Amino acid sequence: MRLLMWWSGRALSSAATLLGVSVLIFAAVRMMPGGFAETVLGPFATAEQEAELAARYGLDQPVLLQYGHWLAAVGGGDFGVSMISRQPVGAELLARLPITAELTVLAVAASALFGVPLGVLTAVRARPGGGGAAGRLLSGLGVSVPEFVLGSLVVFVFSRHALGLEVGSWVPLTQDPAANLATMVLPAAVLSVFAISVTARTTRDAVMGVLVEPYVTAAVGRGESPWFIVRHHILRNAATPVVTLLGTITAYLLGGALIVEHVFNLPGVGSYIVQAVGRRDYAVVQAGVLLAAAVFIVMNVLIDLLVGVLDPRLGVLAGRRS
Amino acid sequence: MKKLDRLTVGGLACLAVLVVFALGSLVGAGGDPDAIVGPRLQPPGPGWWLGTDNLGRSVLPRVMEGVGTTLLLSSVAVLVTAAVSATFGIVAGYRGGYLNELVMRLVEVLYSFPAIVLAILVAAVLGPGQTAALASIVLVTIPLMTRLVRAAAVAVSQRDYVTSAVISGARLPRVLGRHVLPNVAGTIAVQGTYALSVGIAVEGGLSFLGFGVQPPQASLGVLIQQGGTYMIAAPWLILGPGVVLVAAILAINVVGDGLRDRLEPRETRSLT
Repeated sequence: MRLLMWWSGRALSSAATLLGVSVLIFAAVRMMPGGFAETVLGPFATAEQEAELAARYGLDQPVLLQYGHWLAAVGGGDFGVSMISRQPVGAELLARLPITAELTVLAVAASALFGVPLGVLTAVRARPGGGGAAGRLLSGLGVSVPEFVLGSLVVFVFSRHALGLEVGSWVPLTQDPAANLATMVLPAAVLSVFAISVTARTTRDAVMGVLVEPYVTAAVGRGESPWFIVRHHILRNAATPVVTLLGTITAYLLGGALIVEHVFNLPGVGSYIVQAVGRRDYAVVQAGVLLAAAVFIVMNVLIDLLVGVLDPRLGVLAGRRS
Repeated sequence: MKKLDRLTVGGLACLAVLVVFALGSLVGAGGDPDAIVGPRLQPPGPGWWLGTDNLGRSVLPRVMEGVGTTLLLSSVAVLVTAAVSATFGIVAGYRGGYLNELVMRLVEVLYSFPAIVLAILVAAVLGPGQTAALASIVLVTIPLMTRLVRAAAVAVSQRDYVTSAVISGARLPRVLGRHVLPNVAGTIAVQGTYALSVGIAVEGGLSFLGFGVQPPQASLGVLIQQGGTYMIAAPWLILGPGVVLVAAILAINVVGDGLRDRLEPRETRSLT
């Protein structure tokens, strides 16, 4: 019961954050300079034309009313109409979402698949008193290379020497899964370098934290083998920070995907947002940014649920505290 | 005092070189960044050690100017972040109550945006340029630092020396400034270092997309973005600034790790 209360509190607090995010985005978009009327109508528009346009998009109403209308519409799944293409933004976002999702899922999978074992291995093998400068430098390099640098380099290398992988093109997954994967491998690889390194570092820290626990000392004293100790005593106890990190990483990857899509010319949500900002396409910026923040918030609630399942102590403690 | 390990020293040395690089461009070392020195798109050679760009300008002085712009922008932004985060984090952590609630709510909202998405939103409001880049870095780095400073301040506030200061009649500014601030300074220093590397990456990404620093002014992001156009014919246009950018971020991260290990040492053990 307590737990249920805690969960509903958590959901409510997330909803409040999302509301705050929506206010911030709405305010930001209203503050953008150089009205869209100029963008849409060109420099020779008359005052009547501008007024007509403002009336059509509801821009002549009080700001609070506009916000209310917008929020109600978004709540009903209506993200408005692009001011440039006159197409519904929601449909366009929905069409582009699978690309960004595929990129992100591939990168998260890579970070779990490579980052976690790498972190466990380096932690277990670490000598007391630090050391391992090479390993630290390598994982440091992984978190230090921005996507736009790595992406540009990869595009350069693969434009000169195709090596069977194409850059700058894209094939829908539903049309030809193999060809789609061939075009997605490079962007996903660029995107996952950071995620893999961060996961490895966090896993390493978490495992090293567990290694000094008394129950590990006891296990070593009983003569259990290192890998038995890792499987039975360490992994589950070190899981919480790593799983929590995966939430943060997913959010980070949504941002990284934006850059990667731009560099590799993929028609995802990220490149949509970049284009829209350049063209002052208010509705698209509003919807795209809101979507990114909402995914992050929902993701974190799910991660909290997962952590509660992995480590029941946390859930009980949280329930007691409230 | 414990000696700094070799990696941290290396990071500091690399940073020192970059700062000298940037300062050198101020006094005109490396040449005029806007002067046309030779044919277009020449590979590195004498007279233009990092090659020439599409206008025949030498890339070296442009990279030097770019390092300066990038480092200066990020440093100023991080100082702003540190001041804001320290103030709000400490007050919220010490006072608690509704103020704490309010600060944490605002931070939570900012924290919900992926960094580059928030940066783009800021740039869209302020218009592309240096101000936008600066404001983006501040807003992107504030949430994490405020959270961690607040957590540290909560722990420090319950210490006996703080209680004893309050009992002996110290006023609030004195308690916060003399007793709480020095004890959360380590957190601020470590997070400030990491924030600097985040700032450099954000400036780079934003300028790369065309919403940050505007040409003809050079920043590392601007140079990489401009180089991208001629990349196939002249890869040195992105290699030079790219390597310098990665070196700067890596050096700062390494220094941050060293700082963290020194300020927050951990027990270690080996299983094998």
